[in-house]
Amino acid sequence: MNWTTDDTWIALTGALCALACSLPGCFLVLRKMSMMGDAISHAVLPGLAIAFLVTGDRASLPMFLGAAATGVLTAVFTQWITRFGNIDQGAAMGIVFTTLFALGLILIVQAADHVDLDPGCVLYGAIEFITFDTVRLGGWEIPRAAVVNGGALLLNLVVIATLYKELRLSSFDSGLADTLGFSSGLLHYLLMTLVAVTTVAAFESVGSIIVIAMMIVPPAAALLLTRRLLPMLLISSGIATASAVLGHWMALVLPPLIGFERTNTSGMMAFTAGLLFTLAWIFSPSEGLLKRYTAGAISESGSYPNP
Amino acid sequence: MLQGSLSLLRGLLAGLAAVLVCACDKPSSGSAEPKPAPNGKLRIVATTAMIGDVVQSIAGDRAEVRTLIGEGVDPHLYKPAATDLRVLKAADLIFYNGLMLEGKMGDVLAKIGASGRPVHAVADHLGPYVMDSGEGHHDPHVWMDVAGWTRAAESITAKLKKIDPPHAAEYGERAAAYFEELKKLDAYAREVLASIPASQRVLVTAHDAFSYMARAYGLEVRGIQGISTESEAGLKDIEDLVRFLVDRKIPAVFVETSVSEKNVQALIEGARAAGHQVRIGGSLFSDAMGAAGTYEGTYLGMIDHNVTTIARALGGTAPEKGLNGKLK
Repeated sequence: MNWTTDDTWIALTGALCALACSLPGCFLVLRKMSMMGDAISHAVLPGLAIAFLVTGDRASLPMFLGAAATGVLTAVFTQWITRFGNIDQGAAMGIVFTTLFALGLILIVQAADHVDLDPGCVLYGAIEFITFDTVRLGGWEIPRAAVVNGGALLLNLVVIATLYKELRLSSFDSGLADTLGFSSGLLHYLLMTLVAVTTVAAFESVGSIIVIAMMIVPPAAALLLTRRLLPMLLISSGIATASAVLGHWMALVLPPLIGFERTNTSGMMAFTAGLLFTLAWIFSPSEGLLKRYTAGAISESGSYPNP
Repeated sequence: MLQGSLSLLRGLLAGLAAVLVCACDKPSSGSAEPKPAPNGKLRIVATTAMIGDVVQSIAGDRAEVRTLIGEGVDPHLYKPAATDLRVLKAADLIFYNGLMLEGKMGDVLAKIGASGRPVHAVADHLGPYVMDSGEGHHDPHVWMDVAGWTRAAESITAKLKKIDPPHAAEYGERAAAYFEELKKLDAYAREVLASIPASQRVLVTAHDAFSYMARAYGLEVRGIQGISTESEAGLKDIEDLVRFLVDRKIPAVFVETSVSEKNVQALIEGARAAGHQVRIGGSLFSDAMGAAGTYEGTYLGMIDHNVTTIARALGGTAPEKGLNGKLK
């Protein structure tokens, strides 16, 4: 195998994207909203349809704007329905994204039935091809996808670092957060908007599989290894980065070994994340398989870490 | 336990750092730069097999042709492989269909073209020949009409001559021979499709891929799905089509190799409930050709298979083995 500059860029961009997704992903997993990325991937359809109806074009920019707008709407609607309908967040998410997806289908059939307008065709980018689309930054040719995902990562880092205490408290005890004087609802909207923007930006630049996987799998694995928020964020970031880098390396090395000719990089990155999760599940110090068998007893610890 | 998780964290981070260092330390070797092609051949990449086959037929042993979208794969749903980047980077010449057939990959290819490398969209330069699929957008399935595909093949020949002038005469000769074959195929398609009784010249398929064929050879065409294979067929669409089949007494409908046949089955059951027997007339190649190395895996074989199957199923006459006696 030859590791080229292109491969370094692909692994790096994958890692940036994985980090940008896994940071807010930690809070999603703690709030039992981990399917948000998947929900948004379906809910963007009406955004694409409306952007197409308004501009009459399938160019990338209007598609991205339409998708981002519906992504944010998904987050906002989910929060509304949870609050005012007094139901579980998972159910609220289910209501919102299926409704939006259905609306998208109706719009397409009514207005654009003879145009190929599925997200896979007009929205999702491919991480394999990012080095063909570069921007010049200070004399360097940098893939646009690396800039986009790096920007998303920076935004997530800044927001989470500034509001760390508030986010932590409202994730574990929203009632206490409210009585202490900062609105957990507002924080929630902010977090969800962050998730929506990150998701759609990553969809557009590197495709959907990595995003959905990285938002859930590294945080879930980290939660098996620690019960504290800061270590969880760090471990999750480590797993995300390792999944991306190892994933691309395996996509290049593995297929010839097992007799396949072709492997998809983003699929392999998601697969690697799953592999690392399995390791975490086996070796988890608190509820791992090994621990269970060696201790001979199943620990009945709650699923929430202590703040 | 805290100790344990902390040391685990430390271990993880160390491992991660090792991985990162490994990844970045590896020297970028020169495989990204174009190596001299084997035996001085041109390295050509085509997105679909339909294009790849035409290019190979015209370029002959002057070129090594790689096809990105494999057999039986719907181009709308193509996902790149990790090695596709290397293939594209090493190519001397890239051909793709255009008209949004390749989705976002079309953008990528257009960007490669904009950077000065030879990239050619074969269906993008056919002018008013291209059909409007409604809402001002174009139907990309140009290869379904042999005359239209001949024009695409002409533009391929011109590109080959331009990039490799010393062998221009050779390309011209091979192209002339290939165009003869295409002309025969076109005449054959016209003849066998015209043998279908006029009232039954209706092609009902899983998705809207056959408009060019319909326009060229005087068929009426109805697709259950729209152009995109991801759109859903509505209940009313199915009902309307069933009524249409029953009223017009259409004997057969067709499935496609790269599209699920469950919607077509729904049509057949609907017609049976209304007392009209419809059968599956055969499986047509729409967005993908047959297996590489077989006759159906060439453009000539693909169209031969399609028109022969359609003619025989709808009550026309056509030799069982097709134009060249090679169909299975």
